[in-house]
Amino acid sequence: MLLVPEINEVEVRFISKMLSRLVGEMNAEVCDQCGKCSSACPVSKEIEGFNPRQMIAKVSMGRLDGLLKEDAIWTCTTCLKCRERCPEDISPYDVILILRNLAYRAGYSYPAGYDDFIKGVKESGFISRPQAVRGRGGVKVSRADLGLPEVSGPGDMAKFDGVIEGIIRAGK
Amino acid sequence: MRYALYLGCTIQSEQYGYEASVRETLPKLGVELVDMKGASCCGFPALNSVSKLGWHYLSARNLAIAEDMGLPLLPLCNGCHLSFVETKHFLKEDPELKNIINMNLEKEGLHYEGSTRVVHLLEVLHDEIGAQGIGEKVVKPIGGVKLAAHPGCHAIRPSDLQRVDDAEDPQKLNSLIKALGAETFDYPEKIDCCGSQLAVASGRTTLKIAGDKLKAVRSYGFDGLVTTCPFCFKMYDGRQRAIRGALKDDTLEVPVFYYTQLLGLAMGSSPDRLGLQMNMSPVDGLVERMTE
Repeated sequence: MLLVPEINEVEVRFISKMLSRLVGEMNAEVCDQCGKCSSACPVSKEIEGFNPRQMIAKVSMGRLDGLLKEDAIWTCTTCLKCRERCPEDISPYDVILILRNLAYRAGYSYPAGYDDFIKGVKESGFISRPQAVRGRGGVKVSRADLGLPEVSGPGDMAKFDGVIEGIIRAGK
Repeated sequence: MRYALYLGCTIQSEQYGYEASVRETLPKLGVELVDMKGASCCGFPALNSVSKLGWHYLSARNLAIAEDMGLPLLPLCNGCHLSFVETKHFLKEDPELKNIINMNLEKEGLHYEGSTRVVHLLEVLHDEIGAQGIGEKVVKPIGGVKLAAHPGCHAIRPSDLQRVDDAEDPQKLNSLIKALGAETFDYPEKIDCCGSQLAVASGRTTLKIAGDKLKAVRSYGFDGLVTTCPFCFKMYDGRQRAIRGALKDDTLEVPVFYYTQLLGLAMGSSPDRLGLQMNMSPVDGLVERMTE
């Protein structure tokens, strides 16, 4: 089931495996639509239209494409309450993250912040680099000011970046 | 007790109060912290949403470094801890995935076997040292202060993976707070989310989710909030001013602490050694009460 053609083969195999494990056997009978996921969800309370129960209904009916293009899949806080409380062991959280992976591969829109995360990791090994931080008194303090040791990253950044590039960008 | 200390992105680049207080307190409790060479981001949340394979690669790579060191891995962040535990789980279940990751790790001169034990700070403090052991080191008990425990989502859920405490009724942080002489009690919003992982998509909603919890904490009469997660801390402490703005509530002021900062105060360390000057929430009054 190739939803998106021409994606890196390994990544697709992996994502497909995750997807089929989570929703492959899912049909309208697997989820009782009890709504424990939505009632536990901190985002459902705040953002109209964010509804994990409905997302699972759409997935179980095979209506993935619309979901992949919706902003909603990007607004989960990953609190995991839906996964914890589902009486049928369906995990809306995991389904949402798989949908994000697919949407990203398919070239649909996603929050720009993820590009910054990836850039940071590829350049230094980390999302962010040590910075001087303002404390309560307004004075900026560095790691050294607090006697904290220097941070080390991947020893060979070129090799590290090459591997990450190969995994993330392949097929994009 | 000897651990490979894994700081992760957020702590090592800005949450210095956490790192300073961990380095100040744990050695005094008999814990040796060994810094890691060559570590990287755990992959969560940077890659989890866009490249599952990349996420597991980054987590496995840090686990492999700890394997080389022959030490259990101690990540200080809830998100990193879950990331390592989940990656270990997936790679054990899926030998093909483990092979693909090892083929890539080889390019960096690393190898993942899966033998690294992953421990959480709350486990070190509660399960290994124990509330009693901590109580014995307290020289300045924190009396007459009511503190709300916020363990954070990723420390306790999902219960089908190895987590730190009960998913619906976590009590370890409460017991550790009591060991310092402070009061604590349960409240309905205790296991609710701080909202921080939504910041990348909707900053306004994030502030609302965090603000609602701070309002609840205030309404129950707590003097402050305690956590061990850098993301949660950043929301409740660093973003508290923005929360006041978003909720249009200038009176919403809740002192927020890392547990290790309070532990340090109770063990007699000076506030500066615990990075308490870095907390952005109004902690001065409480710190004075605790150190007088």
